[in-house]
Amino acid sequence: MLMTHGLDLQFGDRIVTLMAALVLVLQIAMVTQRWIVIHIRIFAAQSFFLAMIAATIAWFNHAPHLYVAAALTLVVKVVLVPILFERLVKRMEIHEEIEPIVNGPLSVVIAGGLTLVGYVVAESFYKPDEPGLGHNALAVAISLFLIGFFTMINRRKALTQVLALLSLENGLFLAAISLTYGMPMIVELGIFFDVLVAAMVLGILVYRIRETFESVDVSRLRRLRG
Amino acid sequence: MLLVALLLVPIATAAASFLARRRAAMEVANLVGFGAVFLMAVVLAARVLAAGTVSLANGFFYADALSALVILLTASVALVCSTYSIGYLRDDQQSGALGDDASGEQIAQLRMFYTLTPLFVFSMLFMAVANNLGVMWAAMEVTTLTSVFLVTFYGKVTSLEAAWKYAIIGGVGLSMALFGTLVTYYAGRGLTGSQALSGLNWSVLAQHAAQLDKTSMRLAFVLVLMGYGTKAGLAPMHTWKPDAYSEAPVPSAAILSSALLNCALYCLIRFYILTSRCLGAEYPGRLLLLFGLLSMGVSVPFVLVQKNYRRLLAYHTIDHAGIMVTALGLGGALGSLGLMLHMVFHTIAKSLLFLCAGNVSQHFRTDLFSKIKGGVMRAMPLTGVVFLMAMLAIVGMPPFSLFQSEFLIVRAAMVGGHILTGVLFVLFGTGVFAGALLHIGNLVLGPSGDAPVAPRRPWRNGSLLALASALVIIAFWVPAPLLELVRQAAHVVSGQ
Repeated sequence: MLMTHGLDLQFGDRIVTLMAALVLVLQIAMVTQRWIVIHIRIFAAQSFFLAMIAATIAWFNHAPHLYVAAALTLVVKVVLVPILFERLVKRMEIHEEIEPIVNGPLSVVIAGGLTLVGYVVAESFYKPDEPGLGHNALAVAISLFLIGFFTMINRRKALTQVLALLSLENGLFLAAISLTYGMPMIVELGIFFDVLVAAMVLGILVYRIRETFESVDVSRLRRLRG
Repeated sequence: MLLVALLLVPIATAAASFLARRRAAMEVANLVGFGAVFLMAVVLAARVLAAGTVSLANGFFYADALSALVILLTASVALVCSTYSIGYLRDDQQSGALGDDASGEQIAQLRMFYTLTPLFVFSMLFMAVANNLGVMWAAMEVTTLTSVFLVTFYGKVTSLEAAWKYAIIGGVGLSMALFGTLVTYYAGRGLTGSQALSGLNWSVLAQHAAQLDKTSMRLAFVLVLMGYGTKAGLAPMHTWKPDAYSEAPVPSAAILSSALLNCALYCLIRFYILTSRCLGAEYPGRLLLLFGLLSMGVSVPFVLVQKNYRRLLAYHTIDHAGIMVTALGLGGALGSLGLMLHMVFHTIAKSLLFLCAGNVSQHFRTDLFSKIKGGVMRAMPLTGVVFLMAMLAIVGMPPFSLFQSEFLIVRAAMVGGHILTGVLFVLFGTGVFAGALLHIGNLVLGPSGDAPVAPRRPWRNGSLLALASALVIIAFWVPAPLLELVRQAAHVVSGQ
């Protein structure tokens, strides 16, 4: 019985690692992505894999409250936020490409470097004697966090910055489920509520910036100095 | 019961204002709501003084002297600012700053203000009574979300820019704070019952702080300091602050600069207590001193060369955030007492300054020193006198009470052997003193322009006078219960 449970855990760990790798690849794809609609869809796909990771950990570690987190991720980040943003893009008629400050190939190299940093930091949390899933997941989580930061600095378009902020938050969610199997239920609910409201608030702001400046290029917001 | 009522009243106020059709109804709802909140805050403070701590729902809501003090300050600022905003917004409505009357724009703007302000206050109160660190974080995020549209209130190009900076920098900052909270939860995983909701309760973690995982707590504190430090406006994460404070309507700016600053510091203090009990006071203390002194230092040149008086006040708030964080970093009984006293005095003086700036800004229709030149004293005598007095108070001029608290902090530095900190503290303090006093002195007393004399303004001048009397009275006499509350709050911080 114990034997099979150990095997199960190993199997679960492999699935989680595989999906965490996909999440990381999608994050790096976002760094180089030039089209805003595709950027939104990559974010949705990334959130979908995150929900799957949460469900896998819930199944193999018998942590039922993670199912709720997985379901909420599906509803909020895979469905609601992308729909909201795609409608926003349509309404604002953004066709232009996103111009990153650092060019594509170089930003992939930087993202790779940040992933290394993620692994180094995650190493200090690794306790071989503690059974559990997601040693790799934590490294990926920290990498997502750092790459999200980098994307925010690297992009000038308002909506891309919001997406980067949300993918950074995805990193936090992954860290939460791999470190502690999620936060207490009520905290989880609070965080999802905040994410949804924040996405709406930022969406409205982006829309109003577009209306006022005829552009979503936030580098034009430079009147307030000193 | 009291804790729940404290949270429900602002929500009810917001709902009433949202549903109200006439301006008068919104004004009454806000005044009554904030009046009730203030009374409940006083009762809560009295209960905490009598019983030590008040908690509810298995410790989900929890208030000790520190929370009671922050709640009392928040409620007082909210009451004064809501009184002030009645006069302020009526003036805006007359001058056409709120848009067209015929198309219903004005009433929509007023509805937004009178609905968002109670929600904003609700989130701050919720933060102060939440025992669970995750819930505390969520409430802090709500403070950003509810106040963003207060910053864009006037819908100008610059206010959109300010709101964007505020939302994005605040969002990134708070994501770090969430990471820190998460790592703290991880640090406590070895404790019994850590999987339950109470596993992230501050009161539980504080009791078992010595058993928390030390490596994790180190990382957690850095993340939380960066995160809530962003909300408190510590350098180098302070850049949103001058923009947001100068673009928001004045009553909202006053709440942001005093009550919200206290709330951000409150979160920092909670984590400081956990970290210092786990790792000793030296590790968090050094980091806090670094950020505190940096904030004080960064604000000096900006105060010295400032052209806009509302931005001057914002940089001044950054300086004071630095002062309070420095006091927290010095720690010990003396530093904590200095911190808590300074929090009380700063809240009164800074909200008063913003309200004065609002009067000047509405009368002269500009925020620039160069356009006003001087003569505030002639055009609006009461505002002029109070403005100058509050400025003297906040730069630490005796006999005003901020001198006492700043002196206590310098003394804590010297006694604790932080000579360099003490010297830098005095040096930066002098720079801000010179810059702020020179600018505001010129503004109030300088050669008088040709601006007309202001009419009487009962709502605004009433709230100015109330705050100004409070400032003068506490310079000489701090009521014994308030002093006791401050002492107990300092005791919570230092544990001594």
